[in-house]
Amino acid sequence: MPDYASPDVLVSTSWVAEHLTDPSVRIVESDEDRALYTQGHIPGAVEIDWQVDLQNQVVRDYIDRAAFEKLCAERGISNDTTVVFYGDKNNWWACYAFWVFKLYGHKDCRVMDGGRKRWELDGRAWSNDRVGYPHGHYKAVEQDGTIRALRDEVLKHQRAGKQLLDVRSPEEYRGERTHMPDYPNEGAVRGGHIPGANNVPWPMNCNDDGTFKTAKELEKLYIRELKMKRRSPTIAYCRIGERSSLTWFVLKFLLGFGNVKNYDGSWLEWGNCVGVPIVKGAAPGGAAATVAPTSAGASASHAS
Amino acid sequence: MNGVHERLNTIIGEFADLDGREKLELLLDFASGLPPLSAEHQARKGTEDRRVHECQTPVFLWAEATDGNARLIAEVAPEAPTVKGFVAILADAINGRPVAEAVTLPDDMLERMGLADVLGILRSRGLRAILARVKRELAGKAQASS
Repeated sequence: MPDYASPDVLVSTSWVAEHLTDPSVRIVESDEDRALYTQGHIPGAVEIDWQVDLQNQVVRDYIDRAAFEKLCAERGISNDTTVVFYGDKNNWWACYAFWVFKLYGHKDCRVMDGGRKRWELDGRAWSNDRVGYPHGHYKAVEQDGTIRALRDEVLKHQRAGKQLLDVRSPEEYRGERTHMPDYPNEGAVRGGHIPGANNVPWPMNCNDDGTFKTAKELEKLYIRELKMKRRSPTIAYCRIGERSSLTWFVLKFLLGFGNVKNYDGSWLEWGNCVGVPIVKGAAPGGAAATVAPTSAGASASHAS
Repeated sequence: MNGVHERLNTIIGEFADLDGREKLELLLDFASGLPPLSAEHQARKGTEDRRVHECQTPVFLWAEATDGNARLIAEVAPEAPTVKGFVAILADAINGRPVAEAVTLPDDMLERMGLADVLGILRSRGLRAILARVKRELAGKAQASS
């Protein structure tokens, strides 16, 4: 995987195929539709579900440290295990799980480039065996605040005119789509975006086969076109912090941004907050006018 | 033929006794039993707005009523077997049975099947949106024909 900032973090389907029985490697599937794992998974892969396993079922938050330790141990994952994530939808949820593992300080995390789609296209075998491993030994650290942004920090960041990325669809960014029928409790009350945020819909990071675009293509998108700076603090958000974990992964590991955080509260929090600034329409607007070129919304809107 | 609720209760009972993994396997069995669209509906798919916009995955559905009987016809992308399985369960429970019964499908069926916990809060909400859509359309059809 040449030219990426941290090339080791991506592995190919053939690398995974060669490490299926490697005891130092655990392969983890995370999907939008969890029945896909039941239907067929990479032989020996365990499942970690983003909703049922990684989210706190009472408080709107991730599982706590103790629950994370228990989850890892039950999946046969120890502190020194190389964990390789993959899944459906361009590895969207795989990146979400990857981010949670980094939040609790797991050292060796990888993503299988292309996810389920690439594995299928490569004609590799699926298994529907029930998978179990002897318990691992896991001790997690406290949450890593350098990759997670909470609301108050986002507000300060916005006021300071620092780099913000909205990775939702252009319709959501422009504020045309606010709430969906029959989703009375899930929609945000207000539509639009955080002032100053550029809009780069998350699928723009990926090719049709689910793999990530090349370093050159990604550099063109974020650095040449949007003039984003690798050294400037950056916060990415979407609706509930899922799509933005993929963009966080791209910025941090593929492009080498030094300080990038995922705002997991995202629009579902921001669009319901009292008194926070919101901009509607295709232009970034807001305090970050000098950071965000006015062409940002336009360049993103033809992409998805 | 037994009624909508009788049939649904049988299905709910089958799910309720299974562990999480088995529930998903049974859901997949239902999904694989959903018939492909007829040529007629395939053609209508392109001209009518039958897409369920509440869903993130492409779902096209028609809730129809003929002589007072309900018929649910749907196409769900293969990458969404959970949605496909759920739609197949709804079709199994209501097809060929009275619309008047179909519109009273219970809103808590996912909980009673034990699927709500297996699927999580957001996915369950997505499926409930489909259930609400089917019931709303059938209610409209029932009203139109009465």
